[in-house]
Formats: sequence, structure tokens, C-alpha cells
Amino acid sequence: MPQTITDIYLPRQAKVEQIEVENSQISTFVLAFCDHAYNDAFRYQPGQFMMVSMPHCGEAPISISSTPTRPGAIHLSVRRAGKLTAAMHGLRVGDTIGLRGPYGRPFPMEQLQKKDLLFVAGGIGLAPLRGVLDTCLDQRDQFGTLTVLYGSRTPSDIAFQTDLDMWREKGVDCRLTVDAAEPGWDAQVGLVTSLMDGLHPKLERSTALICGPPLMFRAVLGRLTAMGFRDEQVLTTMERHMKCGVGICRHCHMDGKLACVDGPVFSLAELRKLKIMEMED
Amino acid sequence: MPHASSMADSHLLKKDHLKGFLRKLAKEYRLVAPVRNRHGDVLFTVIDDLDAVEIELSEPPQNSLKQFFLPQQEQLSTYTITPEGYDFQPTKATIPPTVYFGVHPCDLSAVLYMDVVFSRQQRDPFYLRRRQGSVLIGINCNNPSPKCFCNATGSGPFIEMGSDLQLTDLGDRFLVETGRTSGHTLTERWQGFFSPSTDKDRAARYQAFLEARGRFSRQVHVEQAIRRLEADTVPDEVFAKLSLRCQDCGGCAYLCPTCTCFTISDQPLDAVNGQRLRSWDACTFAGFTVMAGGHNPVQAKTGAIRQRFTHKLRDDVRLTGRPSCVGCGRCVGICFGGTDIVRFVERTCQGSL
Amino acid sequence: MTNSINEIENAEVILVSGSNTTEAHPQVARRMLDAVDRGARLIVIDPRRTRLAECSHLHLALRPGTDIPLLNAMMRVLLDEGLADELFIEMRTENFLALRDMLNRLDLEETAALTGVPLPLISQAAQLYGRARKAVICYCLGVTQHVCGTENVQTIANLAMLAGHIEKEDTGVDPLRGQNNVQGACDMGALPNMLPSYQAVANQDYRDKFERAWGASLPEAPGKTLVEMTHGGKQGPIRGMYIMGENPMLSDPTLSKVEETLRGLDFLAVSDIFLTETAQLAQVVFPAACFAEKSGSFTNSERRVQMVRQAVAPPGECRTDSEIIMELSSRLGYAMEYDSSAEVMEEIALLSPIYGGMHHDRLDQSWGLQWPCWDRSHPGTPFLHKYYFTRGRGHFMPASHTPPGELPDAEYPLLLMTGRIYHHYHTGTMTRKSERLNRECNHAVLQINPEDAKAHGLRQGESVQLASRRGQITLAASITDQVEPGMVYTTFHFHEAPINRLTNDAFDTGSGCPEYKVCAVRVEKMSS
Repeated sequence: MPQTITDIYLPRQAKVEQIEVENSQISTFVLAFCDHAYNDAFRYQPGQFMMVSMPHCGEAPISISSTPTRPGAIHLSVRRAGKLTAAMHGLRVGDTIGLRGPYGRPFPMEQLQKKDLLFVAGGIGLAPLRGVLDTCLDQRDQFGTLTVLYGSRTPSDIAFQTDLDMWREKGVDCRLTVDAAEPGWDAQVGLVTSLMDGLHPKLERSTALICGPPLMFRAVLGRLTAMGFRDEQVLTTMERHMKCGVGICRHCHMDGKLACVDGPVFSLAELRKLKIMEMED
Repeated sequence: MPHASSMADSHLLKKDHLKGFLRKLAKEYRLVAPVRNRHGDVLFTVIDDLDAVEIELSEPPQNSLKQFFLPQQEQLSTYTITPEGYDFQPTKATIPPTVYFGVHPCDLSAVLYMDVVFSRQQRDPFYLRRRQGSVLIGINCNNPSPKCFCNATGSGPFIEMGSDLQLTDLGDRFLVETGRTSGHTLTERWQGFFSPSTDKDRAARYQAFLEARGRFSRQVHVEQAIRRLEADTVPDEVFAKLSLRCQDCGGCAYLCPTCTCFTISDQPLDAVNGQRLRSWDACTFAGFTVMAGGHNPVQAKTGAIRQRFTHKLRDDVRLTGRPSCVGCGRCVGICFGGTDIVRFVERTCQGSL
Repeated sequence: MTNSINEIENAEVILVSGSNTTEAHPQVARRMLDAVDRGARLIVIDPRRTRLAECSHLHLALRPGTDIPLLNAMMRVLLDEGLADELFIEMRTENFLALRDMLNRLDLEETAALTGVPLPLISQAAQLYGRARKAVICYCLGVTQHVCGTENVQTIANLAMLAGHIEKEDTGVDPLRGQNNVQGACDMGALPNMLPSYQAVANQDYRDKFERAWGASLPEAPGKTLVEMTHGGKQGPIRGMYIMGENPMLSDPTLSKVEETLRGLDFLAVSDIFLTETAQLAQVVFPAACFAEKSGSFTNSERRVQMVRQAVAPPGECRTDSEIIMELSSRLGYAMEYDSSAEVMEEIALLSPIYGGMHHDRLDQSWGLQWPCWDRSHPGTPFLHKYYFTRGRGHFMPASHTPPGELPDAEYPLLLMTGRIYHHYHTGTMTRKSERLNRECNHAVLQINPEDAKAHGLRQGESVQLASRRGQITLAASITDQVEPGMVYTTFHFHEAPINRLTNDAFDTGSGCPEYKVCAVRVEKMSS
């Protein structure tokens, strides 16, 4: 007798509850499943992603930018990049989208306990780290010092300003830099690596979490290694084109690994074994 | 009729009675078998009228069973956009239970591989629904075609497992081995068609196997290529040269019985209705990995070609213990430029270790 | 093609000129690469380092528009090395002395310098070609789309005849045709000066034959060439047009003139399978059936006439081309009554000697037949010119360098070449409807050498403005050393970047073919 198998490809409806405009290109969408019981029972972990459906646009993977310690809503921070994300930027509060997930290997939160955490991000790269950071803040006694190094193109491109202010208030060491200054900007100008000059992390109890464009990523890796971080102490989350999200369609292949199920979170030690663009010289 | 309870039970089916047996099966199942069409091509075909077609077992079919379990295009869901919301409805496709008759060992191996792909990480409902209602009747290859190299991939010319019934051509009769309980059920249900086999028949099967093994016209050193890929000693130049000649047609992936990469896309039917489709894709296309905004983490053709061969001959060996190339040679026949897996193996094995 | 496509596999030397074969004719490229695997030598003449050039043994990267000097230099080398096939020249050709005298007057060094190809490379190519037992020349639009296109082709013929590389199996001269049935269209008289089967309009006997068969009188004067028609001007002599399956609003040079002409017509009808840029200007559009929706035959590059069979019914009100023509003809007062395409084929066999033995029943039972096929018992002709040329003796037509209609100067310092890419076909009316093909490529790119890109401060993928004296478009820069410094290359598939707003309206007086391959342009960085 054929048994019933869950339709893993079927999205569920979710409602846009709130939209936070982060900058001209990035917005954070606060979403809740229309099925209340499902929404209440829905669980995920920082670093995981959702497959988002938009009418006539298909699906795209978007990392969750909220923390599971605050259940009831999923935050997706989205940069305008293609057709689907452009359509998302046309959403209004009350509109519905399709969601399935959560998918992927999350950040190993247990391993991070008691550690000093160094978050290094560029642009939209702060989105997947935002969930980790908020988790740490909600369980403040379980983690060591928290430092955020964040690079943007220009001061007006700085996203997550509300979060940065809030994090600062809660004692997070947030340092910002821009590639190109604008009038009124008196802080750091330069690559995000320039923010690392003044850092003196306690190496034995530190872990770095990086997310950003490939060029930035490689520069940061170089600096971290030079500072004495071991490959196991560096975590990152990889961006790839995905279709199924569940390890079958193979669009997100990474030299034998699949970003959707083996990642998207990887340690640098794991990535070093792979022939992938991000690891090329 | 006496029958042993062991799984590796074997019987005889006279060729004269094959059609009669298939007619019985066709009453309860949809029947798919290799048929020669009017242009001379042998293809696995859904048979509506057994008397209208000639089943062709001597020549490997041009298609594999892939299209029956993973159709070239299938609907995953439909959606509607209303003021109340954007809602998906599951596809209610009914898949008739099907007998696949005359499946060569390479294609049987491919189905076993697909079983892993579609149930390893997550159970794929569409594949498994098709697969659950299926009966596989295999035929061992007495005469491998000049393109075949299943002897080098461990997937032929004879196969011990994978099918429900496994046939070996012994001239005027088939030796029928029941591989699985379901195969057992078939021989019991229609036991009138079968007679007991003797040691002589089993010896004849072994003889046919030995002869078939000697009939391969090409030696493809798949094992050696696997070792070199695992040891990372395949020169980049091999991939670079092969990729230069890839004509980007995707033919290798579409014809390959184990290439299961797919894409999912929405097809609007009107302003407020649409369907979500899954269709075959190929990792050799640049668009396979390109991300929104145009960035492609797999740079140039070389990376895509490397992925194709590394996946088949290294990653899947790590996963299942054997390559997912089943040695059917279909990609060799279709390739425009000479970027097929046999060439890859040959070039990889050139020169000293 | 004088050869069959499969014969290319057996050639010892393959000389490819002005053909991006892997992208434009992948099935032919497959034979070339197979031949290379069997030990054949591949010589590619192309200004760009195409993929086929990467696979070649010799790549002669000539300056665009210098085909004649290059081939002349090769022929001079053949003469000097004693590689001219004297017996063939004696028995099968005429006017050799004119060619020989012209070649002997050449200054080889100077000629080579003109082409930009080092003389030793030219010499090596000539000797390879000359010494081969079986050698084919494949050429394509890179040869013909020049002001001197006809002379370019004649010079190729000179080279083949000089070396005696014609009349044999696996040896010959092979123009690669661009569409599934462009050969068939030419065969059927879709040429201004020819009736079907290359029977000249000017010839009274041929006209009589067709007039008797059709019961109508035919004009004595040849018709007009493509560009004469589409560049006729606002008040041109042609007042009404019926355009079938062609999109001159994207494919013809100097689009502003095309638009002016088509808008100036009293009446325009277009039949096509999609509403093309051209169809949008029409007063009447006939929705046509596509290849899979009709039955009949196509004639391919190797002169092979093959059956196509209807696979699906045409959607909606679409009709096959023949139905549209017959219906239109009846309304215009001339009844064309054919019950089937087989009946049309019978008339073709009756009136077109090279198709004399072609009937649907024969075509249906085989992989088609290659013309000439004179009668029902004729097996078809795999390669041409065995024993004699169509005109009798092969006539050497010596030619000298003709510079392109427009060359780079201070104001427009770059030379623009246009062509195709693998994933799109012509003006994209069909291929750009495919999501998968668009995923591979959905915008026009301008290939530009790293040196020029640096001079303009361009980054990979950046939008640039490309301008000529005739117009300007915007497209994305693709920085690559496939093109030499001073040259840029793009395609004509994209209506968003209609390159033919820029191309020159100079054309080959011999054939009327526009010079798509050379014009002067400049690149401008977009202000950010």
C-alpha cells in the first residue's frame, strides 16, 4: 500500500506583519504563518533559512535574521537582487507570501557558549548573524564578550541601524566602517578589516562569525588567520543558488557538499577542504 | 508447482509464453517496455496494445527509466492569488502502478541510485509515489553494445539485485530469478507460465554471463579515475580541455539515467493562477548556479565540468560506495563535443599515476 | 556545401574562415572536433579567439576585412612551394594565368602586414592546406558580410581550385548556412535574380517553362535585394510588402532606415509565429504555424532535403505558411490549389531539375536526399563538382584588397564586429521566450579587450554606451582577450540593445549582403 509522504515542496501561507526599511536596498520582513497552530509550534535555529515563494516568481532561499528565543515571528532581511526579492520589496503589511522550511545546518550555538564572539559582516551579510547575536543577548549569561564589525558602502547604506543602536545599548562593542564617507561621517573609512586593527581578542576563548561578499570574506579570513584564529574558530554562512532546499536538486553544490543541507553554516576548517570560489587565492 | 521459499528462487519462462505473461500483467498494471518505433529507435514506451508493438530486448533503449520516475517536467503544485492571500494547492496526480519490463542492468542500477537520492536527505513525495507502485522486471545483457562499459562501473552486464524479476535469455527460454517478495508474488500468482529451473539452466546462465563479460569492446578504467579524483591528482588541464569542447547542450544530463538535478519554476497561467513545475536541469549550464544579481560561484565552464565528473565518480562513491555512472554509454553517443565521461576517464588515466 | 557534413570528419586539414562554428553550427563543429581527434589539422581564420580557435592548431587572427590579402598570400605560398595542383588547373579550370600574374606581383611581406597575421603563420597554414590529401574549407558570414563578400568567396574558390581541393570526397568548399531552410529558400528562387533551381530570371527559356506551368506571365527583370527593399526610404518605389518569418526591424543594418521604410509603406503584412518588432508595424499580421505544426520538407546546408512531419496542431487561428500563401493568392485572383505539401513537391520536381527525383515517398523512406537528384532513380549527390563544375570549367577570379566601408578613426576609434552566441537565435523571437535560454544569457554583452577596458576605466559587467555615426545603444562590458585591442564584438539577438542601429549600410554590390562585420564605434563609460 502506498504510504502517505509529506509534500515537502508545498509552501505554507505566511502574513507580513511588519516591514522595517533598513536602507534603500534592504528591508526586514516580520512574518507569521497564517495557520496559528503551525505558527505557534514553528521552531528554527539561528543560521537556518526559509524558501520564500512570491507570486509568479518561484522560490528563493532567504536566511532567517531573527532569534528563536523570540518565537511567534520570523524575520527575513532581504536585499533587492533579482526578480523575487524585487517583488518582496513591493509587499505591504497584511500581504501573504509562501514559506517552507526551516532548512539547513544552523550555527552550533552550544559550541559557542562561554565564548567571546566576534561578528564580522558586510552589507546584507549581517542578516544571518543578527539571529545569533539576538540569541546571545537573550541568553546573555551563557556567552562571553560580543563584538560586531560591520562594513557598508556608504553611511547611507548602513542597514540594521535600529539593531546596532540596541546592541550598543546592551553592551555589544559595535564598530562600523564605510568604503566611502559622506559629509557628517567621522568614523572609520576603509574595508571591514581596518576595524580589526585595534582588536585584541582572547584567542583561546574566541570564535569569529563572518558573512559578507567573497572579496570581503577572503580579506577577513586572512586577517583572522594572521591574528592567530584557528580554522575551527571561524564560522561562516555560504550563499548559493537553491531550488529544493532539502539536498536533492543540487544547485547549491560546493565540491561534494551541498550548501542547503551540509551548510549553509560551515567552519573555515571544513571549507578549506573544498575547492570552491571563496577559498581560491 | 513446488517452489522454494528462498528469495533467490529461479524458474523458467518459455519465450513463446512471454507475451501471454505480459498480457496478464497488463490487466493489472500499466506496462512499460522497450519498443522499436517507426523510425527504428528503441525506446521505453507505455504500451496500450501489446499486439500493436514489438518488444525489443536485444538493443539498449535510447531512454532510461528516469523519465518515468522523474518526468522531464511535472507539476508540484498550483497556486492562486486572491485578495485573501497567495495560496498553494497540492498536486493530485494519480500514478498508475506500473510494470517496467525489459530493464537492462545499467538502468536497474540507476533506479537503485535514484532511490537513494530521493529518500536520503528528505523523502521526495513525487518520486516515491511513482516508485512505490512499480514492478521492475530486468533482463541481463548477453550482448553488451559497443558503447557499453557497465563492466567498469560495477553495474552489469548481469545483475544480482534491484529487480523484482530478473530474466536471462537462454535461447528459447528465459531463466527467471525472483529478487524480491513482490517478484515472488508474481511468479506464484501466474505460476502456470513458469516451470522449475534445473542446475543445467543455472549453469547456462553462468555461461551466458561469462560470454557477455568477454564481449565488451571498450576498456574504460573507471576505478582508476575514481582513485585519482579521490586523491585529487587529476590535472586541472583535463577539466579545462574538456570544458573547452563542451557545447552546452545538456544532452549528457538529460539522457543520463542517474542525472537527477532539477529546477523548480513558476508558470503563470493567468494573472492570478499558476503552477509550480519541476523540470530536468543540468549542472553543466552556467545558469544552474548563477545567483540573483548575476554572481556565479562556479566560475567558467571548467568548474561546471569538474562538478559533473566529480559528482558521479567521487562524491557518489563516497555516498553509496559506487559511482553513479552506470556505464550505459548514452552520453558518449549524444555528446556534441567529446566531453563525455569516457573521454574524461581516458584523459584522467593518461600518463603515470 | 560541396561536401556532406559527415565528410568533414574524414578531412586531413580543415580550414575554417569567418565561422564561430561551435556556437553557430554545433553539429558541424562536432565533426570538426572529431576529425581533430582522428589527427586532422584545424586552421581557424578569425579576428577573435573563438572556442574553435582555442581548439585549433593554427589560429590566423586577421584584421577584419583583410580576407582577400590573407588568402592571396596563402595562394602565393602555394605557388612558390610548388603546391599548385597543375593537373587540376589544366583539366578543370580557366583564367589561371590572370590569377598567377596577380599573385606573382604581390609583395608577400606587405600583404601579410596588411592582414596583421605573421607571414610564417600564413605560410604554415598554406603548406598544411596545400599538402593535405583531403582538405575542406568551411566558411560562414564572417566571410560574406563584407562589402567585398562576393570577392571573398571567389578568393576562397581560387584557393581550393589552386590546390585542387575540390571534386573529391571529404574535400571541398563548404559555406555553412544559418537556418534550417535557408538553402531550401534559395533553391526555390527566394533570390532576386533566380527562379527555382537557380534558373536565371533573365533567361527566356526558363521563364517560358514557368509561365506555361503556372499559366501566368513572369517579369523579365530581376527583383530587388534585401537592403534595397528595406532601405527604400519613406517614399520608396515599393509601396506594399508581405514579410514572412523575418524580422528586419532587428536584423537589418541601420535600423533607422528600415523603420522609416516600413512605416512609409502603404501596406505591410507580416506572417510570423510571434508578434515581432516588424509585425508590430504591420497592418495585417498572419499568425503562422511553427515547424512542429506542419508537414513538408526543409533543405539543409549540405543540400539534403528532409521531411518534417506535423507533431502537434497549430494553436488557435494559426495556419501553415503554405495555407496563408494559397489563401492570399486566391484572394488576389490567382488560385493556388494544392491539397498537400506532397503535391507541391511534385511541382518542384517537375520544374526544378536539381530536385527532379525528389518526392515525398522517397524522402519519407530515408534520411532525405541531397541535390542534385535528377530523377526518381538518382541516389542524390553527397559531394559536388565531380568531373565537372556546373558552369563547365572553374573560372579563377583574381581579387585584390577592398577596404571595409567604414574603418575606425579618431572620432570612432574601435572596430565593431557583430555575430551570434550559442544560446540565442537571430533576433531572439523564439529563443528569448525560453526561460532556460534566458537563464544562460538574457542581455547583450560587448566583448572588449582588457587593454581597451582599462583605457576606458571599465569594470567587468559594467553598463557602457556604444555609439557609431548612426546611433547608440547601452550594453554590458565583457572584458576578454578573445578580442584584440582596438576591436569590440557583440550580438544582434537583443531588442534591448539593437546593434543594427549602429551597423553600417555599406553592402556588397555583388550579393546585396550588408557589411555587418565591420563598422567604426566608440565606447563611453556611463556616468554613474
